[in-house]
Amino acid sequence: MSEVTTVVTGWGITFIIVATYSMWVVSRGKIIGQELGIGEMEQADPGKDADATTDL
Amino acid sequence: MLAETLLVVRKDLRVEWRAKVALGQVAPLALLILVVLAFALDANSSLLELGAGGLYWVAVLYGGTLLIQRSFDVETDDGNMDAFRMSAIGAPSLFLGKSLALFVQIGLLELVLGSGIALLYNVRVTDWVLLFVAAVAGTVAFSVCGVLWGVMSAGLRVRATLLPLLLVPVLAPILLAGSRAFETALGVRADAGWTWASLMFVIAAIHTAIGLGAFGFLLEEG
Amino acid sequence: MTSTTRSNAKMTATPATRVLGVLAIAATALMAVLGLFISPADVIQGEAVRMLYLHVPSIWIAYGAFVLTSVSSILFLRARKRREDQGRHYDRLAGSAAEVGVVFTGITLITGMLWGKVTWGTYWQWDARLTTTILLFVTYLGYLALRRLPADPMVRSQRAAVMALISFINVPIVHYSVDWWRTLHQKASLSVGRRPEITGEMYWTLLYSTLAVTIVATWLMIHRYRVIRLEELRDEEALAALISSRLKNDDGSN
Repeated sequence: MSEVTTVVTGWGITFIIVATYSMWVVSRGKIIGQELGIGEMEQADPGKDADATTDL
Repeated sequence: MLAETLLVVRKDLRVEWRAKVALGQVAPLALLILVVLAFALDANSSLLELGAGGLYWVAVLYGGTLLIQRSFDVETDDGNMDAFRMSAIGAPSLFLGKSLALFVQIGLLELVLGSGIALLYNVRVTDWVLLFVAAVAGTVAFSVCGVLWGVMSAGLRVRATLLPLLLVPVLAPILLAGSRAFETALGVRADAGWTWASLMFVIAAIHTAIGLGAFGFLLEEG
Repeated sequence: MTSTTRSNAKMTATPATRVLGVLAIAATALMAVLGLFISPADVIQGEAVRMLYLHVPSIWIAYGAFVLTSVSSILFLRARKRREDQGRHYDRLAGSAAEVGVVFTGITLITGMLWGKVTWGTYWQWDARLTTTILLFVTYLGYLALRRLPADPMVRSQRAAVMALISFINVPIVHYSVDWWRTLHQKASLSVGRRPEITGEMYWTLLYSTLAVTIVATWLMIHRYRVIRLEELRDEEALAALISSRLKNDDGSN
């Protein structure tokens, strides 16, 4: 592997790992939050909210 | 405290004497490991002679882990841990007692394995004293760490896989030191075998201190 | 679900961490520009030196995270009997720090191996640092495995805290013995991995990268902490629901 390929691979893998981990943490928070019925409900009106929870 | 410790030792050894798991199952299995390792190295006699010290400790690691597992399974299976908590036996005594009982069992295993190595791998001992001291040092360190980590995974459903994962990184320095010390004792390396042996005593001392202090935390039930 | 639980508990994002998150993305982008384009190539190592800006900050962050895990574990063991929340705050802190530490140790290993391939010609050398790092990685993977097990939360947290402490004490033991092992009979090979002189722009880029990685790691840790709290909340609710349904069943049978 050339030096440039190595550097690109190394930085690429690192960014993928960090991005994947961040997304996993955030989505896990969202999923559990929804299970618990905690959400960013400020925007949603109550009627819509009820529909959304029955879907889950 | 001494009396309590000996009580625990006697209990553990009596359980072992009745079930004969160490000598009846673990020791033959560890011998098999020696045979399999010879397969892996294509029974190359010079390689086996060179690696005998390390291969010995790998076999001890394997058999020892099983013995540690067993040492805590007999406690948790019948709810003995609760009995210990209610009895007057203190956590430090329990820790020392279990370590000592494990020391005896792993020591027996090592006797079997040592004979196996001598016969199967055709080794010559050049320094019997070092060999003995290194074996004792390694076994003490092994037992103490084993009890500490054995109680960590005791009573958990996945302990059979968890214990080795937790234990092996901790035992790695012992494996390293034991292998090097044995190589010196077997005359295949001129390195400082005695220093490696003393390193194992240091590791054993550190973990004994931790065990005496922390065993109580590990026994507590919530 | 009542509206009270909703307002009491929060999702993992708050305005403050949103700002931090944006900052983390911006800092990372600047780090990539500095590390990949603006900083110069090394005289000896050439372009490969750019691995430095990932590799070194990652291991520093990982070590910092493991120190945080150990300190939090001590605080947890001290607080669990005294504080109202039984020290759960410290337990969560220890858990989230360890996980982030494992992620960055993994990054250190991967970038180190790639870097080694290009400078030493081999992915792996049994050198003290590499060997210690891989053992550290596996040790904390074990710690995370212990934390994930189904068991009484307090028992599990106590065992995890003790394990974190012993593991931390073991780091110098492992490092010392491995270091000794390698230096005793392989002095020559150590000179293969020449370290570049770090001066000027390279120095500042490294320093900046450390700052950027710290911001990213902090953001990750805060979010992970909140997710752990949500997980605990979910487990408690599940337990409460189970108990109430059992009680109802008992009533029905009577």
